[in-house]
Amino acid sequence: METTFSALLEDSAEDLYENAPCGYLSTLMDGTIAKINATLLGWLGHERAELLGRRRFADLLPVGDRIYHETHFAPMLRMHGEIGGIALELVRADGTRMAVLVSSTVKTSANGTAQLIRTTIFDAGDRRAYEHELLRARQEAEQERDRVQLLASTLQRTLLPPSLPDVPGMDVAAYYHPASADEVGGDFYDLFPLTGDTWAFFLGDVSGKGAEAAVVTSLTRYTLRAAAVQEPGPASVLKRLNTALLKDQHGATPRFCTAIHGLLEPAGDGAKVTLASGGHPPALVIRHNGAAELLDTRGGQLIGALPDARFVEVELRLRPGDTLLLYSDGLTEARTHGRVRYDEEDLRDWADTLDVGSATETVAAVSLLLDSFGDGVDDDTALLALSVRLLGDERP
Amino acid sequence: MTSFTVTTLDLEAGPVVEFAGELDSASAPRALQAVEAISPRPGQQVVLDLTGLLFCDSSGISALIAARNIAHSAEAGLALAGVPRHLARTLVLIGLDTFFTTYATAAQAQAAWPESPAGG
Repeated sequence: METTFSALLEDSAEDLYENAPCGYLSTLMDGTIAKINATLLGWLGHERAELLGRRRFADLLPVGDRIYHETHFAPMLRMHGEIGGIALELVRADGTRMAVLVSSTVKTSANGTAQLIRTTIFDAGDRRAYEHELLRARQEAEQERDRVQLLASTLQRTLLPPSLPDVPGMDVAAYYHPASADEVGGDFYDLFPLTGDTWAFFLGDVSGKGAEAAVVTSLTRYTLRAAAVQEPGPASVLKRLNTALLKDQHGATPRFCTAIHGLLEPAGDGAKVTLASGGHPPALVIRHNGAAELLDTRGGQLIGALPDARFVEVELRLRPGDTLLLYSDGLTEARTHGRVRYDEEDLRDWADTLDVGSATETVAAVSLLLDSFGDGVDDDTALLALSVRLLGDERP
Repeated sequence: MTSFTVTTLDLEAGPVVEFAGELDSASAPRALQAVEAISPRPGQQVVLDLTGLLFCDSSGISALIAARNIAHSAEAGLALAGVPRHLARTLVLIGLDTFFTTYATAAQAQAAWPESPAGG
């Protein structure tokens, strides 16, 4: 049995060499081709006689690879006695190229003298095609991501006012921190004149993210803008929005928002604010003397999920130096470094220690607070602050 | 990355779905699929056991409302059990603290359900 097996092996050794599924090449130490198998000749389209004793291995390479061979491949081979898995190209007789993976070893004589170089060559066409495909796919993904980011930032700009209007006697400031460059955020705010001296403002947060949230944000903004003109007060404006969002539902998952909407009217040396909340975190008032309080709007329900949602309206007066701050829950749901979430009371306690006298200063301080959370802010955050200018502070 | 697990228990007293981890826009679809997969029968009560819920954002709230809508459209009930403090706070904030029926534990929710799980 064993005899038969070795006889079979012996019989096929030459055939194995000639017709192996890879190319075999033996060269002298100067690279002159001494022996080559039929597989490699077939790949190259050369006759054996054209190559043996006449050409060097490097002659089979295109110029770039020839330089690589002389500067890297050959020196490494001399130094280590072997080199493996090098990606090169071979030039066929017809001038076309084929991608190969080349491994070489130096055969030494009994006294250690280098005698010849044995080289194995694998067809790397499939592998190259795969690598090209990977590269192409990655480039396309990068282009796609750029397009998505451009779309998201363009869409986002249409959902936020390009700049806040000047309100006489007031300082106003806003800030938007997107959690992701790829997705349109769900936060929105606006400030716009109504009739006479009255101004309307709102800030809210739509559930979900991306294009679907953007649709709701857009509907919400336009509804609030229109309803603020027509309805008598903030609570009835939110009722209108609730009806509009409910009409636009698809499937079981409600697309709702939470929002605070308010009216601002000048009163004496300050301003009167009437605001209504629909399930939104309480607005913060930072008095000029530094005391901060959360406006209790508990009981107001989120907007767009319940047919008969209730909204809670409150009134307050802002005196010179007082600031009203509206924010979205990206701020109060932020994880601080200890991974404990930051809540409304934390924000109030922090604001209590602030020494700010204007909307601009307040927004600057809160945005620094957000920066200090770093990666802890995993939701979009919007801020809108309104403050009554201090007497004598007539900056435009 | 957030982690979220959903486990459905088909108990004799009715289905209990346990949500654990972070319920947000990434995990909300899975949470809802689990509720849909139950296909509650009329008269049954679905209990969402939220004892292990670490975080719930607006998409999570949306999923809880949707779960209630799914149960109600099948003429089944829906109760929340083991609502963690952070979520209880949120539910007050968004005015939904009385919108959901809540119990301290899933067992209490099942004991309080007036109808037998077979709907008889």
